[in-house]
Amino acid sequence: MIVTKSWLNEFVDLDGISNEKLYETFNAIGLEVDSIHEHEIPAKVVVGKILSCEKHPDADKLNVCQVDVGVARRQIVCGAANVVNAEYVAVALIGAKLPGDFEIKFATLRGVESEGMICSSSELGLPETDKGIMVLDKSIGELKVGQELGSYEKVADTVIELELTANRGDCLSIHGVARDLSVALNRELIPFEYQNKNREKIGIARLVDLHTKGHIEADLRYALAVMEQIDTPFLFALRLAMVEIEAAGKLDSFLKYASHATGVVLRAYDANRLKKEDKIKLQIEAEERGIVTVKSDDALLSIVGVNQEERFTAEDTSGLLLFESSYIHPDLLVEAVAKKEYAKDDLYYKTSRGSEPDLNLGMEYLSSLLEESASCRCYEGNLNIASNWEPVNITVDYAEINSLIGQKIESGKVVTILKKLGFGIHSSQNDKIGVLVPRFRHDIKNIQDIAEEIVRIVGINNIDAKPLEIVEKNRQNATLSHYAFKKALRQRATASGMHENISYLFTDRNKLDRYGFDLLAGELDLTNPIAEELNTLRSTILINLLDAVKRNVNYTAKSIGLFEIGAVFDAQRSQKEVLALVFSGQREAESVANSGKPGMIDFASFVKKLGSVIGGIELRECSYQNGLIHPYQSADIYVRGRKCGYISKLHPVAREAYGIYDTFIAEVEMEALYPSHINAEPISKFQGVYKDLSIVIDKELPYRQVAEAIASLELGMLKKWYPVDVYEDENLGEKKSLTVRFFIQSMEGTLQEEDIDSVMSQVMEKLEQSCQAKLR
Amino acid sequence: MKNLEEKIANADSLESLEKVRVELFGKKGLLAAEFAKLKDIPGPEKKAFAEGLNKRKAALQVHFDERYEHLKAEEIERVLREEAVDVSLYSTLAQKGSLHPVMETMDRIIDYFVALNFSVETGPMVEDDFHNFEALNLPKYHPARDMQDTFYFNDGSLLRTHTSPVQVRTMLETKPPIRMIAPGSVFRRDYDLTHTPMFHQVEGLVVDERGKVSFANLKSILTDFLHTMFGEVDVRFRPSFFPFTEPSAEVDISCIFCEGKGCRVCSHTGWLEVLGCGIVDPNVFKAVGYEDVSGYAFGLGVERFAMLIHQIPDLRSLFEGDIRLLEQFR
Repeated sequence: MIVTKSWLNEFVDLDGISNEKLYETFNAIGLEVDSIHEHEIPAKVVVGKILSCEKHPDADKLNVCQVDVGVARRQIVCGAANVVNAEYVAVALIGAKLPGDFEIKFATLRGVESEGMICSSSELGLPETDKGIMVLDKSIGELKVGQELGSYEKVADTVIELELTANRGDCLSIHGVARDLSVALNRELIPFEYQNKNREKIGIARLVDLHTKGHIEADLRYALAVMEQIDTPFLFALRLAMVEIEAAGKLDSFLKYASHATGVVLRAYDANRLKKEDKIKLQIEAEERGIVTVKSDDALLSIVGVNQEERFTAEDTSGLLLFESSYIHPDLLVEAVAKKEYAKDDLYYKTSRGSEPDLNLGMEYLSSLLEESASCRCYEGNLNIASNWEPVNITVDYAEINSLIGQKIESGKVVTILKKLGFGIHSSQNDKIGVLVPRFRHDIKNIQDIAEEIVRIVGINNIDAKPLEIVEKNRQNATLSHYAFKKALRQRATASGMHENISYLFTDRNKLDRYGFDLLAGELDLTNPIAEELNTLRSTILINLLDAVKRNVNYTAKSIGLFEIGAVFDAQRSQKEVLALVFSGQREAESVANSGKPGMIDFASFVKKLGSVIGGIELRECSYQNGLIHPYQSADIYVRGRKCGYISKLHPVAREAYGIYDTFIAEVEMEALYPSHINAEPISKFQGVYKDLSIVIDKELPYRQVAEAIASLELGMLKKWYPVDVYEDENLGEKKSLTVRFFIQSMEGTLQEEDIDSVMSQVMEKLEQSCQAKLR
Repeated sequence: MKNLEEKIANADSLESLEKVRVELFGKKGLLAAEFAKLKDIPGPEKKAFAEGLNKRKAALQVHFDERYEHLKAEEIERVLREEAVDVSLYSTLAQKGSLHPVMETMDRIIDYFVALNFSVETGPMVEDDFHNFEALNLPKYHPARDMQDTFYFNDGSLLRTHTSPVQVRTMLETKPPIRMIAPGSVFRRDYDLTHTPMFHQVEGLVVDERGKVSFANLKSILTDFLHTMFGEVDVRFRPSFFPFTEPSAEVDISCIFCEGKGCRVCSHTGWLEVLGCGIVDPNVFKAVGYEDVSGYAFGLGVERFAMLIHQIPDLRSLFEGDIRLLEQFR
């Protein structure tokens, strides 16, 4: 909503109110100021009167004008076509400095001297009002030749853009904003007074018949006028340009101007086109709740609050005009219209947020404009349809207001504020009042809405902050402990050299499909994605992380480690949280320690990184399948015996498609990582020994089977075992040599040679049986 | 026995000093030879000779020890020097990754409210109309729904447009009093310089008996919160409108870039909008079946906080995994 200061001044006296004060006041009462722009007209730009205008002898498009600028007469060459019929204009005299550091100097144009410039609005830094020069008229005030244009406050105006919240339809007009402002500034709202000047003697009812059909829940008011000629006053053009409203013609500029000023929805029909046998028959029909149509002889003229048929819409040349002002409750209208596919015109924004219900205000304002500025005479009287409106009645308990606000507001003050805001006070007891909500505040429905009005006008900054007294209660829950764990996990991931990433929950369905990930079932997918590459919910974070790796490679990064904890969705759209990690390129930074040539990330170093993030893991042959997984360098990740994800080298085909370095990926379900309770095992007081065992087994046999065979022995003294060397060569053929290191320790006493031998021989025997192992 | 001190002083390494030690103090050394003479010296002179010799030995020992300490210190110094490295070569090796500035900011926000005994609650990202809109006093066709362009699914579900549905769920599952925050990602169909289709919010809700929770309480906690996050800034409350609160306010802080003088970041207003808040609308309580309660709620965008606190100019860069941005937050 854009307002101008001089326009507001028509409804509330702003004398002595600075722009700073306006800015503060608007913000304080909840009409947020988006911008304030003060139009300053440069000095030495004055009102000039064109005395004569002749064609330039040497240039078709130029005119040579003799202009009275008050102290003298000046000859000015002007290129604008509309100067020919102009009388009063804005003249920049020699020495005037126009916006853009443009100083007016004496000039000779094709041999003709020019002493100044006749200005267009944009040359003066004003919005464009017209093609060509600005033609002034008395709508901005009495025109005195030679007077500085900057002294006209309606021209050198301040334009304020307000960001209105969705509930404040009542402020979608100059009058509405002024009404709110008058309360905050404690000044009276200036009533609009309209004296009938020049009316047709005949009443409207002689020509127009109004019928209704059904229960009409809208208000309508009609007026009839004869129009001979119409011109848009300069002020209308200027103000509409300032508030960024475009009019479709001269008559439309009157309607838009009046509507912006008063907030009333105004339409005009060409009455001659509706006339049949010298009568206009209007039929107002309630089609359904919220949908009211206006028809004439069964032809649709308009849908109240929504749109208007073009073929009956009045034009600048229409001689007989039927004006309509209307109001319909936005809640009724919006819900009904949402189910229809009507075309909506500019006015719908007003009606859907609540237009001004005082139809008389709009109609009279429009009539006065037309009678003052156009050759237009209205018929006597109006035709009206009024709905049965009952004001909302709210019982306001002072104590409740005070407890909502947290501060005592004197009851007298509450009453004063509400009255000034237009509320009716219909009853009053000691501690309570009955309040009637004015019709233009359709948003106010309960006592908390009333509290908001009080807070707004009292000013939130005048309310003292008070801490809330609470009852002690333990509010730690599983969410908090999960959050704390995730935080620790993220810290550990950064310690292992990886950066935390956030990517969108969205991804490219084609990509998911190409790499064989879960796809949302069609009926569960997004209806209105924002972009092709973000057209579905992700079932893995890895695609997004690889996209990020690719971007970093494009920025010439050589070592890229990223991790993200976030939600993914399976085909049934059930949500789970995963930790995803990628590492691409060099496994560490280039430095003197590696002579500037660090090795590439490999399986071992990626496992180390993963382990330092999520702790103890067990790797088994990979059971997952997708296009990112390398079939021979991948594994299932087990945490505390539970399969919870996978780790893999990025498949070379995917790596090539991404155009990135050697890359490793892992994705693990968070649910499996949350720590479980741990009981300590007893620790031996006696020394233990390490023993190595080298065996020869089948090349294809994974170490896990060896480990499991050893574990199945359940030897108490065998505390741990792990592989330390794998060796293959030609002599071994289809076999490989594996060295396992054992740690043997007794709880009862110092180990004897025979204890150790017994353990080792049992191990060897088992491996011979289960793994066809031979001692090397 | 002359110039023995000189011998010690001339030893220029621990090895040569060792040779001197053997020469002087060894079993076949000079001093041993002198002591051997004792047996040939007659009784009366013996004592004086022995005393003189012991003194001489003690003096030599002192000389020797001093020289030893000196050479030992020199030796250690030499070893140390040999092990010297140019430490400035190695700074680049000491690297860790970084937490994302948005997540780190969210951590700080959560820590603040947890310290004040708020619980942390979460909820699903795929929501239904009731939890995301209806229960929050946003009936169908309410114009305020325009403010939040929504992602819908073909089955009519939607992606939550704010974390407020978590408040609804928590209220439906528990009884007052409630003090909770709901941190998480939210989704709006908007993509330009200053909007991303996903961003993060933290919302807070406090519910207690009727008449207990007031706007003044909200002012108190949010002012303190903003001072914790942004330091000594001025805090301004402006009346505003949200369907789920009444009265509602937007909260501004004095611009941290120009100290309120007016600059490009604050659009020359001197103020930065950082929060929305209000007293919970009675219709919200009605929707969850609460009676005779009062409460306040607030919500903030984590990206906005992170961008202001860390002076990050481009919102979209936060979602690109650009290491050049991230590594600054190590």
